[in-house]
Amino acid sequence: MALGIGVREGIRTIVRNSSLFILSLLVVAISFFLLSLFALLTINLYSLVKGLEGKIEIIAFLDEHADVEMLHSNILRITGVSEVIYVSSETALKELQEEMGETKEVLRVFEDNPLPASLRIKLAPEFRNSKGLKELSEKITLLKGVKETIYGGELVDQLKGVTKIITYFDAGLLMIITLAVIFVTFQTIKLTIFARSTEIEIMKLVGAEDSLISIPFIFQGMIQGLLGGFIAFVLLLITAKVGSAFFSIPYFPKLFLLVGNLFFGMIFGIIGSAIALRRFLK
Amino acid sequence: MINFERVSKIYQKNWVALDDVTFEIQKGEFVFLTGPTGAGKSTVLKLIYKEEEPTKGTIKVMNYHLRHLKKNEIPQLRRKIGVIFQDFKLLHDRTVEENIAFALEVTDTPPRDIKKRVLDVLTYLRLSHKKFKFPYQLSGGEQQKVSIARALVRDPYILLADEPTGNLDIKSSQEILDILLDINYQGTTILMASHNLLLVRKAKKRIISLLNGRIVQE
Repeated sequence: MALGIGVREGIRTIVRNSSLFILSLLVVAISFFLLSLFALLTINLYSLVKGLEGKIEIIAFLDEHADVEMLHSNILRITGVSEVIYVSSETALKELQEEMGETKEVLRVFEDNPLPASLRIKLAPEFRNSKGLKELSEKITLLKGVKETIYGGELVDQLKGVTKIITYFDAGLLMIITLAVIFVTFQTIKLTIFARSTEIEIMKLVGAEDSLISIPFIFQGMIQGLLGGFIAFVLLLITAKVGSAFFSIPYFPKLFLLVGNLFFGMIFGIIGSAIALRRFLK
Repeated sequence: MINFERVSKIYQKNWVALDDVTFEIQKGEFVFLTGPTGAGKSTVLKLIYKEEEPTKGTIKVMNYHLRHLKKNEIPQLRRKIGVIFQDFKLLHDRTVEENIAFALEVTDTPPRDIKKRVLDVLTYLRLSHKKFKFPYQLSGGEQQKVSIARALVRDPYILLADEPTGNLDIKSSQEILDILLDINYQGTTILMASHNLLLVRKAKKRIISLLNGRIVQE
């Protein structure tokens, strides 16, 4: 009963102060849109780094007379090595030809197969960084039968660095946007309380409970947050759709972003109105 | 019904609104509170419905010792008291009927009772034909009647009237006073603040006169 009246009064308030409501709704929506956009970027960077990490390997090129089996088992015994795959010179040529496609004819200038046999060495996750790569590759180079080793770990290190910076940036942004959304809701509810001062006065005068007096404002803050979060999600979908023409978004956790936007929108909205109520509904 | 015992109210900057005021109003009485602007009339009313706290002294209203009344118990006190004002305090975006029903809706009245009680009070105040009008479509006297209806619809034991005729012409003022006298005749205790001495004397009821926060005449 009280809830029904409170909600009805909340809707009445929103309709009557619609321009104020829409203005703060937009601010909330844009704030959450920015936050979601950066969250999406970070999630994708993380998944990119993780994907690249899985591909990190050391390639050890072998001498013609190398004892492959012995090397294979020796390398596998080194701490940090998770898998060793032998690639014969024929297989390497075949792979190269496949990669080159139509331009493979170029390879005809070689009379013999120029590619050496090699071992592809995959690493345990904790060694998938430039330090681990360097250490292991130095060890492997010392082994008899290994001509040379190559690896490419610096890119991953750089990506990890960038991801870290963006994560810090996200955390900062989250803090600013949390405060902004709570502040905007607080201001809106404050103005709404002033606009409804006669109603509040009458409600108090006739003996309405404080909880009933608060419901319309909490309701408004909650709706503002929920709607703002939802609009932000729709904006994100549109941006992703438009953006997909220019770049790919491999990882787009729609449900996570939708639920996150709605949940935090609602919570921040309620907090904002609760603060305003505490301060102005004496 | 209402008991003030050596009550003082001092606002900020040492402004004394009430100074050592003692009086008692019996059940079913009609009492006028008179005095010039700033004499403390509104403060007395506000203290009764606990909008203000006394600086000194004790106030008892019905069975409530106001000093001991907790914040969450105030609504229960106010549900037994009706208050009307000089400026009516009506909601301008609601009809007469909605304005009156509002007082019931926000105080846990079952919806099926609301319509009947609103209709009854409108009939009593001869306002039924105006129930779909908005306050701005009514005269001052009619607006005050709506405000009385809103106070009356909850069947209060006490009705507090703060200058209810202050914005009205002589004819409307008399009409409002007649309504209040009739409400009192039916058993409701009424305390009415007014500086319209002509109106007050005509009613031949008990008068408490305030000046600078003190009772100067009873």
